[in-house]
Amino acid sequence: MMNNEIENWNKDWKPGPYPKTPEERLAAAKKYGLRVEDYDVYPDDGLGYGDYPKLPYASGDYRSGYEDWDIPELKRNFGEPLHVMADCITEDKWDPNAKPRYSYLNMFLTTTGFVGALLIIYIVTLPYPWFQPAMPKQYPFNDLFLEKGGDPKEEKVVKHYTFERGTEDK
Amino acid sequence: MGNMMYAYVTHPDTAPDIKNPPTFNPLLGFPNGRKERTIEATREELDRAAVPLDKRDYCVDFYLKYLRCREQAFPFVKSSCHHEWHEYDVCQYEDFVLRMKEYEREKRLKERAKRIEKRRKQKM
Repeated sequence: MMNNEIENWNKDWKPGPYPKTPEERLAAAKKYGLRVEDYDVYPDDGLGYGDYPKLPYASGDYRSGYEDWDIPELKRNFGEPLHVMADCITEDKWDPNAKPRYSYLNMFLTTTGFVGALLIIYIVTLPYPWFQPAMPKQYPFNDLFLEKGGDPKEEKVVKHYTFERGTEDK
Repeated sequence: MGNMMYAYVTHPDTAPDIKNPPTFNPLLGFPNGRKERTIEATREELDRAAVPLDKRDYCVDFYLKYLRCREQAFPFVKSSCHHEWHEYDVCQYEDFVLRMKEYEREKRLKERAKRIEKRRKQKM
């Protein structure tokens, strides 16, 4: 529904200029179906929305599910002015009215503390890697000296032994 | 975990250096010598079979046998060369056991050298 509106946008959907006089405010409030007491407007600092009303946040989760809405899918009544961020605060998106069980600072510190503890353990134990209790692997042909590109003049004889008893007499 | 405790906490001075070969005379304590590790294959044979360097260890004979079997039995390698592959696996296992034995030997010889040094200092 909302996408449809955007696709078929025309200049009549554009909000009017920022209201400066009380008469202009009255006209703007009437245009958006609001009482003058309820009508507030975003400041005209270059990032405002003209005469579009500044409404309080009422996210999809915040609106009652038991009320008899005209449009139950969006929990919205006919002719109700939409919030500027109405497309962000539907039920499946952001809930600015949420009252979390734990504060956001608490959540942030808990997560950071846990990940930080893991990170500290990782950094502290970096110089002490796990290893298998075994000496380096032995290779024939003097530990593959020539195969690994060694100079034939510098080749040294490397002997490897099993743990079986030899037959030499001493 | 025991090795970590030994090498990092309780005995860092006598823990073997696992990145370098053993430091003591390999024949120390073997009055009749030790049996040398050998392979039957020659360098030329390995080159002809294009055996990669990491496979040219003391189990390369079993590996070559497996390659020969695979050449003959392809594509029924899994059923026909099961025995050859298992022998190669056992060889690799025993190679690792030998490396662990070398570690233990190095560790005990280091402890022994430390004991001897300590006794020598006490006598002086």
